[in-house]
Amino acid sequence: MNAVDLENLRKTFVLKRGGLFNRTTTEVVAVDGISLAVKQGESVAFIGPNGAGKSTTIKVLTGIMRPTAGAARVLGLVPWSDRSKLAYRIGAVFGQRSQLWYHLPPNDSFELLARVYNLPKNDYLKRRNMLIERFGLAPLIETPVRKLSLGQRMRAEIAASLLHSPSVVFLDEPTIGLDVVARQELRDLIREWNREEGVTVFLTSHDAGDIESVARRVIVINHGRVVLDDKVSTVRRKFLRSKIIGARFEELPGEINLNGVTVLKRSGYAIKLEVDTELTNMDVVTAAILHAGRVADITIEDPPLEDVIAHIYGQHNTKYAQASK
Amino acid sequence: MKQMNELRKYLWIARISARSNLSYVGDLVGRIVFLATVLFIFLKLWQTTFGQTGATHLGGLTLTQMLWYLTITEAILMSAPKVAQLVDEDVRTGALAMQLVRPMSYGWYRLASALGERYVRFTVNLLASALVTFLLVGPLPAAAGGLVLLAVALPLAFLLDFLGNFWVGLAAFWLEDTSGLLLIYSRGVLIIGGAFIPIDLYPPAVQPLLRWLPFANITSGPAHVFVDPNGGDLLALLVRQLAGAVVLGALVLLTYRAALRRVFVNGG
Repeated sequence: MNAVDLENLRKTFVLKRGGLFNRTTTEVVAVDGISLAVKQGESVAFIGPNGAGKSTTIKVLTGIMRPTAGAARVLGLVPWSDRSKLAYRIGAVFGQRSQLWYHLPPNDSFELLARVYNLPKNDYLKRRNMLIERFGLAPLIETPVRKLSLGQRMRAEIAASLLHSPSVVFLDEPTIGLDVVARQELRDLIREWNREEGVTVFLTSHDAGDIESVARRVIVINHGRVVLDDKVSTVRRKFLRSKIIGARFEELPGEINLNGVTVLKRSGYAIKLEVDTELTNMDVVTAAILHAGRVADITIEDPPLEDVIAHIYGQHNTKYAQASK
Repeated sequence: MKQMNELRKYLWIARISARSNLSYVGDLVGRIVFLATVLFIFLKLWQTTFGQTGATHLGGLTLTQMLWYLTITEAILMSAPKVAQLVDEDVRTGALAMQLVRPMSYGWYRLASALGERYVRFTVNLLASALVTFLLVGPLPAAAGGLVLLAVALPLAFLLDFLGNFWVGLAAFWLEDTSGLLLIYSRGVLIIGGAFIPIDLYPPAVQPLLRWLPFANITSGPAHVFVDPNGGDLLALLVRQLAGAVVLGALVLLTYRAALRRVFVNGG
């Protein structure tokens, strides 16, 4: 049994505009035939630009919304008709909306959730204590949620979503608004939870760092359709042919003029190059760098995943625009 | 077993809500000051009215009973949690839709939460207003019996008020602004609910209609059985409250189902 199965999922919204006598209705297609399957234990990043259909898909999968057409199953259950049954087996965190009780400390919210999910007392206490330890919640467990920082709140939200040991967790932009440190902490926790506990993670995000840190598989959607479904490592390898080389010299370096090499930055003793690996070889470039001066340090990196994704959006938008003409 | 688990769930929510409102007790002194002002004004108004008319009873109540009547209606009015506003906010922010992910009924959650809060606030308000009224007009005869009847009348009164407010809050699915509707409802409770003037003093032709509307059974009805304890009156009140709860409950259920259909179509 898969964690998630979508078959030709379609969702349209009807927008009504105008007054009483000149009303117009427009049909907006938010999800346009998405089919995918997610195995139990996978960690999937579901990404796309604003308006791509990510949140709509998550709402269908969590039973909040009914599709216009197509089929969806989560752990073999139909989300909108088996919602009560499914609720015990999934967790959800919506980054922009708190699900903890605002005036209560996380501890009280956990107690409340234990009753909401009918957790036996001993099981609940063991699980709660483990989550408090793993998520570093001990210092803030008795502080009302309204007094927590965003990073603290999100840790508590995700811990709360795992309290009832769900098989699948839907995370809708969980790191939005977090600072760099808080974001990385949260990513590490989500990744650990997926790897160690085998919880299926279905994550939506705009942040490439979330994808790289948490997910093994990335599904890119745009205009309501899947444009890419592949491993994160393959995506980076397949869709971008450039490398970024940074070099720091012990003296002012000479010029580097090679076909397929663009100087991105040059300041003092340091340079940053972008290398098109289809036009030139890495050994030719590194030889040219070593020839340009005494090298103190050299780094070779893949370009940021953001660039990869922007490239994929760009490719899909071009094809979409051409198909629409 | 499943029903017991469900009941325990909502009892716990009520308990948590009551606990988080215990800070209200710290406001006891403020409550006393406010209620002393309001009840003193009412005392002067009714003293003048009794004096001018030369009556010993108005609407079947003596001056002492009148002030104790207002004590109860004030305590009920001031204990009302902001259910309509909370539901309105949950609708607009999408929090209501998000709650659907959990195995918990939004309606029962809001009810349990409201009752937990209300009983704490009512108790504090009653203590404050009773102290003021005792100092102004002295004790109420047969208060012990009245208190028992009041305790029986309150649960359905609070339920009725919750249903009215919940229904107003749900209107947020269709209206840009529910504050107008909330104003109409709250004025209904205040004015035609007999919160300031007992129903018996309204024109006789409209009294039967007013008694059967839910508003009067939230404040006036419970206050009346407290100041003039009578088993027959309590029974009649309970019948009217139950009828109101059935009708309002059906209205709320239909509206909630229509609201959920909008959620399932639009996602929030």
